[in-house]
Amino acid sequence: MQPIIKVKNLTHIYTDGQNNKIKALDDINLAIMPGEFVAIIGTNGSGKSTLARHFNALLQPTEGKCFVNGLDISVDENIWHVRQNIGMVFQNPDNQIVASIVEEDVAFGPENIGIPHAEIRPRVEAALASVNMTEYAKHAPHLLSGGQKQRIAIAGVLALLPQCIVFDEPTAMLDPRGRKDIVKIVQNLNKEKHITIVYITHKMEEAILADRVIAMEKGKIVMEGTPAEVFGQVKKIHELGLEAPLSAEVAEALRQAGYELSRDIITDEELATALCQ
Amino acid sequence: MSIEVKDISYTYMTKTPFERQALRNVTVTIEKGEFVAIIGHTGSGKSTLAEHLNGLLTPSTGTVCVDGVNLNGKGDKVRSAKHKVGIVFQYPEHQLFAETIYEDIAFGPRNSGKSEEEVEKQVRKAMGFVGLDYDAFSTRSPFQLSGGQMRRVAIAGVIAMDPEYLIMDEPSAGLDPISRDAIFAQLSTVFKERDIAVILITHSMEEAAQYASRLLVMAKGQIAIDGKTELVFKEQRERLQEVGVDIPESIKITDLLCEKGLKLEKQAITKEQLVQYIKKAKGWS
Repeated sequence: MQPIIKVKNLTHIYTDGQNNKIKALDDINLAIMPGEFVAIIGTNGSGKSTLARHFNALLQPTEGKCFVNGLDISVDENIWHVRQNIGMVFQNPDNQIVASIVEEDVAFGPENIGIPHAEIRPRVEAALASVNMTEYAKHAPHLLSGGQKQRIAIAGVLALLPQCIVFDEPTAMLDPRGRKDIVKIVQNLNKEKHITIVYITHKMEEAILADRVIAMEKGKIVMEGTPAEVFGQVKKIHELGLEAPLSAEVAEALRQAGYELSRDIITDEELATALCQ
Repeated sequence: MSIEVKDISYTYMTKTPFERQALRNVTVTIEKGEFVAIIGHTGSGKSTLAEHLNGLLTPSTGTVCVDGVNLNGKGDKVRSAKHKVGIVFQYPEHQLFAETIYEDIAFGPRNSGKSEEEVEKQVRKAMGFVGLDYDAFSTRSPFQLSGGQMRRVAIAGVIAMDPEYLIMDEPSAGLDPISRDAIFAQLSTVFKERDIAVILITHSMEEAAQYASRLLVMAKGQIAIDGKTELVFKEQRERLQEVGVDIPESIKITDLLCEKGLKLEKQAITKEQLVQYIKKAKGWS
């Protein structure tokens, strides 16, 4: 199977305000397969968002290559295909909404790429249904809650029928309820619609839902594996300036104190089971 | 010395189809020296309440007094009462505007009529407080910083006003754990050293549980629960669930362990407590 996103020796250098050259990404290699749910973690400034912005050609590599379905993103003719197949959802829903009625906002993407009118309506309806926002089709987006706005932003991407959606901290600005809604929708898109998910987050309880977790530091990929493989290494996670889920942290503290507990413990359930055997 | 909120109500967009009562008959007193967390989900009235505490919003009915001065008035006395209350809004870095970090932080103190010498002193102090080196950063543009650093500059701008009541609306949203811990460490320091009141608005029960000694839980424009943090989690579990507020992860684990047969001596609020209680319950210490 061909990876949907393939990154080869990718380096990204930008110039800051003082004319210093800053290496935001340093020789990254990565392949993401169709249907995968990949979480990317790392502190502010580790390069997560810069990397993700290459996936749909918002940024171009300084050195190296990025391919989407085998097509080089730095070739102009490919950008159409890349942007249509790799959708992006950002942190702040307010920055992603363009129209004054929900269904018009969702229709904006497909209209823009020239989808025939007759096809747009079913797409919008399906997209709104996937994020449970059908009843809000005629509402004004600015009067919705943050979580609802973020669902509209996701519907706008879904209406383009992408193969993959890149989420850049989609829940950072939401309250716990909004956060749960979005996480559930993301999981459904992956499990039921088989959309490939790249999910950037600071929330470890969200990262453990992924098939694979990638940790970044200073522009490099420094850890990679299943959630249990990555978060089981609590010490290393701390060195990166991150936190593991509370259960993994507690298990590690107990191990440090000399008690034998498996390194696979990352959920509350696993911790409780291990302690109550 | 306190902020006294007496029976206030507030309605947004009155006489329009979007009219909504955001606060209903709220009464609460916050004393200097208290660390209070206000929680409740979106639309519960948290931020609306906060905006009344320094007179940004005037209640439709009821009064807000800071150290005995009613904020709904005019004159120097009211002005200086309002200046005692500093608010760090959500995503304060969106409000940065000046060309240099120094100028941005100096805006508040300069506006309140301080001499340039005093202004510089305040800026240095505020930058020290948020952990930004004065020599390295003061002449740089605030827009070339990382998200966490920008947040700190914005907080410094409020600290430079020497607030006696400091309100922070979700100061850690979108920050990584290191930046978040740095901000809370600084907040705890200023709280202890200066005997101010800190009012933390947050969605994170972990933060509320860890730092605040008193919890105000809001629902539908009213204060649904007001009590000592530990007691709230112990005695008001059903009420918390009713108003849709989560409990901290550490307490969820405490419960789950109990359910599976490992009873801990107390509800754990921090990771350290959880580890300690587990060891004790297992007879490991």
